Amino acid sequence: MGAHAAAGRRILIVDDDRGLRLALSVLLTDAGHVVESAGDAPEAMALLHQRPFDIVLLDIGLPSMSGLDLLARARALDAPPIVIMMTADDTSEALLESVRREAYCYLRKPFPPNTIVDVVADAARPDASQAIEVVSARPEWLELVAPCTLNVAERIQSFVLHLDAHLGEDVREAVAQAFRELLTNAIEWGGKLDPNRKVRISCVRGKRMLFYRIADPGEGFDIDRLRHAAIANPEGDPISHLAVREEQGLRPGGFGLAMTRALVDELIYNEARNEVVFVKYLE
Amino acid sequence: MTARMKIVESRLPDVTVLRLSGRLELEDGDLLFRDYVNRLIAEDRVKIVLDLSDVTRIDSAGLGMLVSKYLSARKNGGTIKLLNLTQHSDHLMDITRLASIFEIFDEEEAALRSFRTPQFGSTTTQR
Repeated sequence: MGAHAAAGRRILIVDDDRGLRLALSVLLTDAGHVVESAGDAPEAMALLHQRPFDIVLLDIGLPSMSGLDLLARARALDAPPIVIMMTADDTSEALLESVRREAYCYLRKPFPPNTIVDVVADAARPDASQAIEVVSARPEWLELVAPCTLNVAERIQSFVLHLDAHLGEDVREAVAQAFRELLTNAIEWGGKLDPNRKVRISCVRGKRMLFYRIADPGEGFDIDRLRHAAIANPEGDPISHLAVREEQGLRPGGFGLAMTRALVDELIYNEARNEVVFVKYLE
Repeated sequence: MTARMKIVESRLPDVTVLRLSGRLELEDGDLLFRDYVNRLIAEDRVKIVLDLSDVTRIDSAGLGMLVSKYLSARKNGGTIKLLNLTQHSDHLMDITRLASIFEIFDEEEAALRSFRTPQFGSTTTQR
């Protein structure tokens, strides 16, 4: 998000796949970082004890010690590195353990080469170490409390969307879009992009429905005064709200609620409209 | 997590084709796209085709920026036309009714040809 963070971070790649270690090392060195690598957890721990690293790229399926255990040990260091998990393991248990043990984000292998460079750039930002508090990390009920920053929103999405990986593409994309729009609204308008304010997110999975709840720290809004949103546009004019946004000095946008209404089965706000739930029914 | 916005430009005598890839989202592609189109408009290159086939995600801010730059191009005597929408982007255009604003094409040649054909303020979708 935004401009790329400064390069020159110290990065440790931990993966038993020598070819992948080499490929990632070349990519990240070319991006200006200082890169070292390890093929297993003991070698990685030895390096982590010898000198500090800013970021660790960590495979979950390591020999002799799981990447999840190494994650916990790395995060327990005096100067813990930011840890990006990489795995072909799609189980929700691995994902949830990563969340619980303070992983920065979760990348599913294989991933496009550019992705790793961009994710490392995000992880190198000064606000990247902001913690996401885990209230519940069950596959059926994930609940998180997080600072109101866009970087954190992206991280939360990386976790939540992996939990939905088994869904059909249409449902997955609809839910992902709706979640992204409402979470961004909560963080930008409710939380004013203030890292000291918190947003609370619950994702509940039943046999026949997905239920998401997002509570922001703002005062809510009056839906009758949303002239700057596309839902207020007259029939046949889908963009007249953009003139209102320009008058009010708001960035272009305002399509989030209109999109979300069309993408989910239920969209319900509380009275103040600083909490919202949406439901997607499964066939 | 997906890769960030990248833009590859092809200049034809009268039309500029921009191939966007990655995310067109709030503070993540939208500003790069805005600045890129602003530069083209400043050079009076106001006939623009956006190839969106490799755009992985678009959010409300991204859609807003698309419309904002479409209006800027129109104000300067040109327009922005869309090419190769993914199924998801196409769906978003439908549910926001932006499909009634943009001309949308599935083939680049048809998009380019449309600039050579006299237009009468048409906003029809060319599919």
